[in-house]
Amino acid sequence: MVSVSSINNIISTASSGLKKPNVFKRLYNKLPNWEVTSDKLLTHVENFGKKCTSAHQRGILGATALLTQPFIDARNKDVDEKTRKYSVARTIAKIIAGTLTGVAIRYGCIKAMNWKPFLPSRWQSLTKDVQDQYKNAMGTIVSLVVMLFTNFLIDAPLTKFLTNVMTQNQKGDKK
Amino acid sequence: MKTPEFITDMLKKLANKGASFKDTVLKKYGEQPGTMLVHTGVLGWILSSLAQVAAVAFNDKIPAEQKVFLIPQEIGDAATNILSFYIVTQSVKSLASKLVTTGKLKNPKISAFLEKVKGIDKSKIGTWDFDITKLAGYKTGIKDDFIKFKNGVDVYASLAGSIASCNIITPIIRNKYASDKQKDVLAQMQKDKMKYLQAPRGISMNKYLQNVYAKHSELKV
Repeated sequence: MVSVSSINNIISTASSGLKKPNVFKRLYNKLPNWEVTSDKLLTHVENFGKKCTSAHQRGILGATALLTQPFIDARNKDVDEKTRKYSVARTIAKIIAGTLTGVAIRYGCIKAMNWKPFLPSRWQSLTKDVQDQYKNAMGTIVSLVVMLFTNFLIDAPLTKFLTNVMTQNQKGDKK
Repeated sequence: MKTPEFITDMLKKLANKGASFKDTVLKKYGEQPGTMLVHTGVLGWILSSLAQVAAVAFNDKIPAEQKVFLIPQEIGDAATNILSFYIVTQSVKSLASKLVTTGKLKNPKISAFLEKVKGIDKSKIGTWDFDITKLAGYKTGIKDDFIKFKNGVDVYASLAGSIASCNIITPIIRNKYASDKQKDVLAQMQKDKMKYLQAPRGISMNKYLQNVYAKHSELKV
């Protein structure tokens, strides 16, 4: 028969177990604290937080994508040579088309957020930083709506065109 | 001419919805650029993936055999992009936020504030459950500087997470997925071709086998 005291023991063990930090927390707690002291780095980090818009993010993503993705596709040994070449050409075309249109539309839409109908009622009471972040957020949301159409009207045909240009060049090289 | 009442009502309702949407955006993202980049990034990937799948499907110049690889590649790309973008970017951003909020990562102004705050166990600074924003005097003493620093770290973390997820993790996963899919589809196509050979419409299997035996040289697959 299970006694009351043994039940109490189980409960207290379980509750004390809950209070103990888990492995992840313990690992986190063991990490050393770090203070960033470089003024240059601090100014850069703070300015980047204020000024980095989704257009910048898309541009940086596109540039780094060109440095990594085509090489990953070119090293894909699971497919035949011909498919691999199409895949690399398409990846490059997709990155170029997506980055060009993505950056341009995001940039344009964020700039358009100076237009009064897009601004909230308490606009004047907001700080400059919050105003900028709002324009960035609202501009990005509007750009996503715009891209619903431009993805089909510009992105996709441009990707198709660039893929065809690159694969035709490859065929020409063989000749 | 007077505008009908139902149109006026409708315009008013639309204006109210628009105003409340603008307030929501302001409240949610006005001080959190890192979160905005993650959320709109997910939405952006969903929309662009839709267009990319359509672009492959309707490109006549890509041979059918390549489409069999590229369409699953795009679908795999979309699913892994969206999932890995959200999981990796959100995790990196959350960890970066946690580092700043707990005081594990700080600037000299935050350190000076923590030194000044009375009644806190200094050994707890930088531990998981410590939260600078809950300290007495946070709003008047450090809030603005803390938010500037945290936003910068958040944006950097979002960017690092999105580069890792979109440009390294996703291409590797999607290639594996697409090549497996291509093999399956090609095997299925081959199987279907054989089925057609074995049992063409309107001929019994026995009759067909006899024909094959008799006229095997004329057969065209």
